[in-house]
Amino acid sequence: MGLDSGETGIGHTGLPLGMFGEGSPTFLTTKVDFVVNWGRRNSLWPMPFGTACCAIEMMAAFASDFDLSRFGMENMAFTPRQADVLICAGRVPYKLAPVLRRIWDQMPQPKWCVSMGACASTGGVFDVYSMVQGIDTIVPVDVYVPGCPPRPEGLIYGLMMIQEKIRQESLTKNTILRNEDPTLVGQPRASESEIVELTGAFGNSTQQDQGGGVRAAESGDPLKDLL
Amino acid sequence: MADETKSGLDAVSEGPVVSDDTETPASGIEAGAGTHATVDAVREVFPGAVLRHEIQAGDQHVVFVDAAKGHDVLAWIQQDPAHDYAFLTDVTCVDYGGGAPLQVVYQLFSLTHHLTLRVKCELPLDSLEIASVCDLWQTANWLEREVYDLFGITFTGHPDLRRILMPHDYEEGHPLRKDFPLRGRFSRAEQTLRALNQEPEHFYIPSELQTGLEPQHLTAKETRATPQVGADSGSEG
Repeated sequence: MGLDSGETGIGHTGLPLGMFGEGSPTFLTTKVDFVVNWGRRNSLWPMPFGTACCAIEMMAAFASDFDLSRFGMENMAFTPRQADVLICAGRVPYKLAPVLRRIWDQMPQPKWCVSMGACASTGGVFDVYSMVQGIDTIVPVDVYVPGCPPRPEGLIYGLMMIQEKIRQESLTKNTILRNEDPTLVGQPRASESEIVELTGAFGNSTQQDQGGGVRAAESGDPLKDLL
Repeated sequence: MADETKSGLDAVSEGPVVSDDTETPASGIEAGAGTHATVDAVREVFPGAVLRHEIQAGDQHVVFVDAAKGHDVLAWIQQDPAHDYAFLTDVTCVDYGGGAPLQVVYQLFSLTHHLTLRVKCELPLDSLEIASVCDLWQTANWLEREVYDLFGITFTGHPDLRRILMPHDYEEGHPLRKDFPLRGRFSRAEQTLRALNQEPEHFYIPSELQTGLEPQHLTAKETRATPQVGADSGSEG
């Protein structure tokens, strides 16, 4: 492990100068999984994708009172190409969906995603025509942080859950977790039936079926009324 | 007064309630002559243009103007030094539903005379067209684009009438109209698919992405580089 301190690595008693003094071993045994996961989970660089009030709590989590850098999130990577974990804080309108997806696609492997707050996770109160009903229809999400908005402690707890998830990963077992198919660019992450299930109407504020679309009995062809 | 024993959660089990279409839009107190100098002057200069004059919320004068004469009236009260409405606070629109005409709202303020005036023009649903006031107030450009985007009102003479908030290829209609379903017309799966296939680069015309240009460079004549499916794949990223 390169722990020699002297020029020659030999102490004046003639024994090798190890990490705990003369005569102690000059090497460590460990598992590759442990070392790799230890490195990954303690140097997570977040890519903050803040679109709404959740971003204010995210900033508070990064600031000195809560200080996320205690956990190795030292550097806000405001570029996806140097980021490990995407924090989506706030509601995502459909117009922003391709931007979020492109940021996710640009992040190098391995990468993780936190969906922060009710709106990013489910659409929240914005069960309307313009809003993505949960970013898990667009990017895979590892941890959902509930709240409106969540407290900074909530976000820290979510990121520590990511660390716990990384700790349990294995280079041999989890290789296909984040495999990507370049032909899927522009395609939703979830299948059509899954999107209908994920984005089901909450409450019954409108005369619409689950998953949207005008109820067939009322309008027939949904495009009929278009200008 | 509603039943006081009901809780808010009862509405969930009762299901949606269709609003009363016969209800007329809230109207204010009919204002008499001499209550607002500008309205009196407009009545004199443009006979028959003022359809109604009301006072709402205590001191807000609302004047309903014939839509065909709307531009002339607005031009006159902007340019006449006795009124001088140099500041167009807002252009917006109201849809009261039930087939009622859409109301285009011009909220005006006169900085020199400290007068506010709300001018409304009613447009029947089958002819949603009105003259643009971009030539009078520059700020009307984006405001009218917003009204066009969300209500589908065509502003004739507008230099650059295209969608401003919704994606430029949005095909579900005009969202703030009362006949627009809350969750849109397409299914969520279709909306997600369409959203992911947008090209964020094409949200803007090229000159909008340049800085330091004079406003007159932002013309409507500039055509958007529409992505061709299948072709031009080399330009990506």
